[in-house]
Amino acid sequence: MGIRFEDVTVAYGRTTVLDSFDLTVEPGEVMALLGPSGSGKTTALRAVAGFVTPARGRVWIDGRDVTKLPPYQRGIGMVVQSYALFPHMRVDKNVGFGLRAQGVPRAETAERVEQALALTGMGEFARRYPRELSGGQQQRVAIARALAVRPQVLLLDEPLSALDARLRSGMLAELARLHRELPDVSMLYVTHDQIEALTLADRIAVMDRARLRDVGTPQELYRRPRTEFTASFVGNANLLPVTVGRDGGVRFAEHDLQAPTGDAAPGAEATLCVRPHAVGLGDGPNPLPGTVTGIQWRGATHRLLVETAGHRLMADVGELRDPPAPGDTVTVHFAPDDAVLLPAGTGGDDRDG
Amino acid sequence: MLVHSRGGRRAVWALFALLFLPLFALPLLVLVAASFAGHWSGALPSGPTLDHYDAAVRGESLRALTASLATAAAASALALTAGTWAALSAHALGRRARRVMDLLFMLPVAVPSVVAGLALLVAFSKPPVLLNGTRWIVILAHTVLVTAFAHQSVTAALGRLDPAYEQAAASLGARPWYVLWRVRLPLLLPSLGAAAGLCFALSMGELSATMMLYPPDWLPLPVLVFGATDRGSPFTGSALAVVLMGTTLLVLLALSRIRTKASYR
Amino acid sequence: MAEARPWAPRLLWAGVPVALLAAGFLYPLVLLVWQSVSPDTGGHSFAVYQDVFGSEVFRRALGNTVWIAAASTAGCLVLGFVLALVIAFVPFPGARAVARFVDVFLSFPSFLITLALVFVYGSAGMANGLWTDVTGAAEGPFAFLTTPWGVILAEVTYFTPFVMRPLLAAFGQLDPAQIEAASSLGARAPRIVRQVILPDALPALAAGGSLVLVMCLNEFGIVLFTGAKGVTTLPMLVYTKAILESDYPAACVVATVNVAVSLTLYGIYRAVSRRAGA
Ligand SMILES: Nc1ncnc2c1ncn2[C@@H]1O[C@H](COP(=O)(O)OP(=O)(O)OP(=O)(O)O)[C@@H](O)[C@H]1O
Ligand SMILES: [Mg+2]
Repeated sequence: MGIRFEDVTVAYGRTTVLDSFDLTVEPGEVMALLGPSGSGKTTALRAVAGFVTPARGRVWIDGRDVTKLPPYQRGIGMVVQSYALFPHMRVDKNVGFGLRAQGVPRAETAERVEQALALTGMGEFARRYPRELSGGQQQRVAIARALAVRPQVLLLDEPLSALDARLRSGMLAELARLHRELPDVSMLYVTHDQIEALTLADRIAVMDRARLRDVGTPQELYRRPRTEFTASFVGNANLLPVTVGRDGGVRFAEHDLQAPTGDAAPGAEATLCVRPHAVGLGDGPNPLPGTVTGIQWRGATHRLLVETAGHRLMADVGELRDPPAPGDTVTVHFAPDDAVLLPAGTGGDDRDG
Repeated sequence: MLVHSRGGRRAVWALFALLFLPLFALPLLVLVAASFAGHWSGALPSGPTLDHYDAAVRGESLRALTASLATAAAASALALTAGTWAALSAHALGRRARRVMDLLFMLPVAVPSVVAGLALLVAFSKPPVLLNGTRWIVILAHTVLVTAFAHQSVTAALGRLDPAYEQAAASLGARPWYVLWRVRLPLLLPSLGAAAGLCFALSMGELSATMMLYPPDWLPLPVLVFGATDRGSPFTGSALAVVLMGTTLLVLLALSRIRTKASYR
Repeated sequence: MAEARPWAPRLLWAGVPVALLAAGFLYPLVLLVWQSVSPDTGGHSFAVYQDVFGSEVFRRALGNTVWIAAASTAGCLVLGFVLALVIAFVPFPGARAVARFVDVFLSFPSFLITLALVFVYGSAGMANGLWTDVTGAAEGPFAFLTTPWGVILAEVTYFTPFVMRPLLAAFGQLDPAQIEAASSLGARAPRIVRQVILPDALPALAAGGSLVLVMCLNEFGIVLFTGAKGVTTLPMLVYTKAILESDYPAACVVATVNVAVSLTLYGIYRAVSRRAGA
């Protein structure tokens, strides 16, 4: 077992910032904690590290109940947004810090520091001070420092957010490589960037306002979200208010649409989720007439904003040689299999979801 | 820039010079001048001489200087230890307990030093602890008075210290003591240096409590300065004062060099 | 704040320095207050308080202490604000050196100022010398040094840097863009000072002011070096009673009153300035 949260509740004064949190990270799994700012992601991570004590519930690491253990007995590695490299130590001392603190002999420390630095490609910077490194290099040192103690779990709190976009995608690939080279280490990766979560994670846990909203593989959450909140937070989504029909279809405004209704009761209110890239221009299955209200050129694609029956639909279509102009009347369509029916009222705005 | 016209700026600067120079620069200059003067009755001093310095670096004066230096060194070392300890342990407490401790350690600043001196005199003039008449009561008084400042500076520095460092250290498996010794104290070192300088300077110039407590065999320099001016030899007093300022500055300079070496930013 | 460690050992660690402080300061202070209600004749009474409160010297000292401290603090606040303003916002070549000089100034003892002022404004000092040289008069007009005004001048001189330092720190954190924005909107210097800089500096001003008020209330060296019989303050009276007259019960009473006055004024000032500042 990697990490397990069991009904973990954390409160600051009267505000609950983590509410009955249940989540298991398998050994060797990368779990992304995704959610808007202030949703409690960092708090969940700090509960694993031992910097906050849950008011209720337990935290397990590697099958061990660590709820009452101080941070230094938990056997974790942690990388935070600011890196927190010790400014008065050179890179090698920083990386060896945890080993020396745990009483590992000098010779062995040196060896393992070298390994950790080699793993992150920082070998040649061993004698530098942190202030003499770039942001990306500091980030690698921070990861090397966390890995040097050979933790069973690695906690990463928005480790890439201080980097620029180019460096970030490079580091993302590096982290994926690291994960392949350390198949036994569980990683809990906090981010509010869905691209990072989709790229890196084996599974994603979606949080909102102190609660866990959804867990699943990136594919599941993207293709088959279970709530409106997940649908709109993991990728973009068109959310259409519909009524479930009798014959395996739904009714949206004046239009009867084909969509998988599952076991939804006929006549029930529901939300139909269609990803923008699944919406096509022109005639096809489930045609919807509308008026173009906006058009954005995004290089490889065009995003059309189409108003249909008082609702705005986003459609991401391959670059058009001859794009429509705002005000033009168009028809858009989507395949029934690309639509997902969600229960109504599962957005981010209600308290109990 | 606040004032844009050239003339306006000049006028502001002139006002500044008019306030600053006579108030702050003049007294120090005058002291130095007087320490070299044979007489001063008129606009300017006259009869340049080194006699006052001759007297200021031997015999009683030299003993006073060593007494002051020893007192200041001992008091700052003790105060820094106690103040740092207090600040660190208060930092680990809850908000309310921390406030109480800060208040307690600030008390010696709010209480007049003369009163602190009298209190020590009252408390330690009789057994079981008889310190009155020894140098230890002077050192104790200085320690108590400057601990407040040491505590305050270290508390401020602790507040500025990013908790991410100690948390990173703890997450790597370092026990609190190891974190204190290897991470927090090294990061606090520049502030500790500054606090040491402050304590030393304050102790070197302490007069109020010292006047209440000093024994005949332990006359710190400020007491001697007062003695000289009280006897009607202000020129000797000035020379002693210049020696006092010079020594303080030298020690501060040395401390600040250590401090720049220890700062990593 | 939720913390993982138990509180008992932490309380124990905090107990050690508190115990030291109690032994070296709090206990003597309590003993001093106890002595003030325990006359030499035995028993406990407020008889000494009656004597002391009844004496003219004490009442004058009390009045002097408060008004000299209040006047000096006011002077320090005004002067410190103006000087810091110029250093921070109308900088001139050498402004940094001046700021450094202010820091150094803080590390000298206060009585040096009085010692120096004797050479400047004393009866045979520079100012009077200059006057007699120019006018040919037998005596100069400057004789305020041994009055409360001499003490106030020395205290303003010595304590103004204590106001300037937090102010300079606060000014350093003020975003210059804010001032540029204000002046680009046509605001003139006095208006910017009043509406942008002053509100921002209020906490620093309050902090510096409260520190200076307490230090002025407690100042002893400056008064001692002034050597004037006319200017007695409470700390001076404590010294006189205890050391010169060996009247310890009376000294303890004056000291107790002094502590009460200092703490009360300091408390009031903090309460008021906290409301005004934050
Ligand atoms: N020490 C604290 N005291 C009081 N409230 C806190 C404290 N730390 C966090 N909170 C509150 O807890 C909530 C969750 O905070 P947390 O840091 O876990 O959010 P987050 O999901 O990591 O957000 P972000 O993406 O902005 O980092 C927030 O509303 C925050 O204001
Ligand atoms: Mg966070």
